[in-house]
Amino acid sequence: MPEEASTRKLTIARAMAEAIAQEMRVDERVFVMGEDIAALGGVFGNTRGLLDEFGDKRIRDTPISETAFMGAATGAAMDGMRPVVELMFVDFMGVCFDAIYNCMAKNVYFSGGSFKVPVVLMTSTGGGYSDAGQHSQCLYGSFAHLPGMKVVSPSNARDAKGLMTAAIRDDNPVVFMYHKGLQGMGWLGTEPAAIVPVPEETFTTPIGKAAVVREGSDVTIVGLAMGVHHGLRAAEQLAERGVSAEVLDLRSLVPLDREAIIASVAKTGRLIVVDEDYQSYGVTGEIIATVVEHDVRLLESSPQRVAYPDVPIPFSRPLEQFCLPNADKIVAAYDAMGH
Amino acid sequence: MDIIIPGDLWEGDAEGVLTAWLFDAGAKVSEGAIVAEVMTDKVQYELVAPNDGILRIRAELDAVVKRGDVIGSVDAG
Amino acid sequence: MQPGRAEKRWMYETMLLSRRYEEAIEKIYLEGKQPRFDMAAGPIPGEMHLSNGQEPCAVGVIAHLEAHDTVTATHRPHHQAIAKGVDLKEMTAEIFGKKAGLSGGRGGHMHLLDPRVNFVCSGIIAQGLGPALGAALSRTMQGKPGVAVAFIGEGAVNQGAFHETMNLAALWNLPLIVVVEDNAWGISVSKKDSTAVERNHVRAAAYGIPGHFVPDNDPIAIYDVAGEAIARARRGEGPTLIEIETDRLAGHFMGDAEQYRPEGEKDALFARDPIPRLRDQMLAAGELSAEDVASIDAAVARRIDEAVAFARESPYPEPSDALEHAFHPVT
Repeated sequence: MPEEASTRKLTIARAMAEAIAQEMRVDERVFVMGEDIAALGGVFGNTRGLLDEFGDKRIRDTPISETAFMGAATGAAMDGMRPVVELMFVDFMGVCFDAIYNCMAKNVYFSGGSFKVPVVLMTSTGGGYSDAGQHSQCLYGSFAHLPGMKVVSPSNARDAKGLMTAAIRDDNPVVFMYHKGLQGMGWLGTEPAAIVPVPEETFTTPIGKAAVVREGSDVTIVGLAMGVHHGLRAAEQLAERGVSAEVLDLRSLVPLDREAIIASVAKTGRLIVVDEDYQSYGVTGEIIATVVEHDVRLLESSPQRVAYPDVPIPFSRPLEQFCLPNADKIVAAYDAMGH
Repeated sequence: MDIIIPGDLWEGDAEGVLTAWLFDAGAKVSEGAIVAEVMTDKVQYELVAPNDGILRIRAELDAVVKRGDVIGSVDAG
Repeated sequence: MQPGRAEKRWMYETMLLSRRYEEAIEKIYLEGKQPRFDMAAGPIPGEMHLSNGQEPCAVGVIAHLEAHDTVTATHRPHHQAIAKGVDLKEMTAEIFGKKAGLSGGRGGHMHLLDPRVNFVCSGIIAQGLGPALGAALSRTMQGKPGVAVAFIGEGAVNQGAFHETMNLAALWNLPLIVVVEDNAWGISVSKKDSTAVERNHVRAAAYGIPGHFVPDNDPIAIYDVAGEAIARARRGEGPTLIEIETDRLAGHFMGDAEQYRPEGEKDALFARDPIPRLRDQMLAAGELSAEDVASIDAAVARRIDEAVAFARESPYPEPSDALEHAFHPVT
């Protein structure tokens, strides 16, 4: 390829597949397991092309047996392999959560660090297209709350590739949560801002570091995955009114980049947290607690949460859209802070 | 050279939708690079650059397309 | 056990109603979703899993059930819901996300719940097994009549919930019948690539209960086997596993391009469509006349038109209705 060719853009689905492929080429311990990840290339496109390149011993379709293959991922990882295992919808964690939170997440600790558990658990999150209560959840808070698992979620393809590579190289379990609406699958709607230039070569994005994706001075909008895009749209609307919003893309929930959150609020004095997961006992509360515990005087007004209400996700479009965070709600939250 | 949706890319007369450009207009692309994604019936297809050169975009994101349509071109030089 | 004349006619009518319903739903589902397949668009948003071809499984079993018997079903529930007697207008309104739907639009196509006929379905594979077990347990504890039937796919047999449910039903000798609709495909993975044994009914031996296999998607054969199993359960003799070889004529979900299916497979399936097969058998045996066939066609079309019109004309719920019914009020 000529050196002067431009950097291509990728969708998040392509970026994930590319990161996995590049690691698999240099490390024969890396393999992929999950439902429909082989011939189909993943229901959400994140393993496309892998079966052709690596064959069915390293790219393994599984039966609908999450407890077995989640448990197997931990066992294989403890025995020296580096599995990338897919939980097709995060909502399915219910059938295998013991294997995840009691086993995968705890064996490094139980062994005092003598065992490594290099599992990457990739799973789809999010709704907005009427897939109803068992196929639309985010559950960021549920995974972030339980100790022993790193948790990441990219808002764009560049971070997706970097975070996946970092996750595969990490000797700890990493839960890689990808939002369905950001994958670049046309049938789920596309967020063009997630399709960005991605370097061809291997690179890592640090797990545990947030990114300021839009600088501002009047209010901090903290978000994750799709929330970042809602935040950016809200920032555009606010800019038209002369309000300068800073948008912080968390990228990781565990470890959480508390310094970045505090630094931004120290600058702006106002905080809005956006989360598509259920409001109570979750991500939004943790972000606010982070600031308040550090120094409540950083806040010039009460912080605002724009999160999913505490109800199961409804099917009907007007009901679901009523519940979902969006840019208008973020702008309304800014107004609610009073000035 | 034009970037044409192959006449046999998918079966039947269904229309497709251009769901992604993987380069901006004016980008330098190499022959064989995947430049666009088109979707029909929930299947995504890839379209590649037919030669080295500068990408010109004719069909915008979300445009409805048919087999045989020219969605852009790659200008050598 | 053979169906009587009236039962057989009910089976034919119900299979036809189910099939024509799925065909109507398929057309409506595609409204607004072409040329760009956007799942959120159109009068029926979200996913759609059609039961075309699997009608015999529903009618052959549910012919033996009353309203007070319990059925749990899967993400592909319409044929069972229709056979069980779920209100067709309210079911259709629910699929359209309307306020007059079974759950006021909260559940949609994968979460159809109707306590009047003891029917529930859900979207997580194998999730219906535990609740069916529970319904069987409840009737036993209350001394009330009623059996429970859990419909699952062949993919679900590889879930832990299957094994736990079978063991517990056998241990407690409960009136539970587990019906496996084997359509050979779990999304893109064929049964032979997911299952260690060739036929799932043999697994019943692991729990010390009877297991039966019904080949060829034959509603009369299903009626026979299911009748014995349900009678057994009603007599207090415990659970049974039934595996039915059925055909999935549609894709896994609407929009599934099915590129993973071998060429020619679908054509072979259409040649064995169970509905014209039963119709022709009944015509040949004098159990149906040509006039009967025509009048059944017309009646089915009317019922579906009525249900669809009801759904289309029903208003949407108020957006803030989303916050209601997470909990019952305290009394």
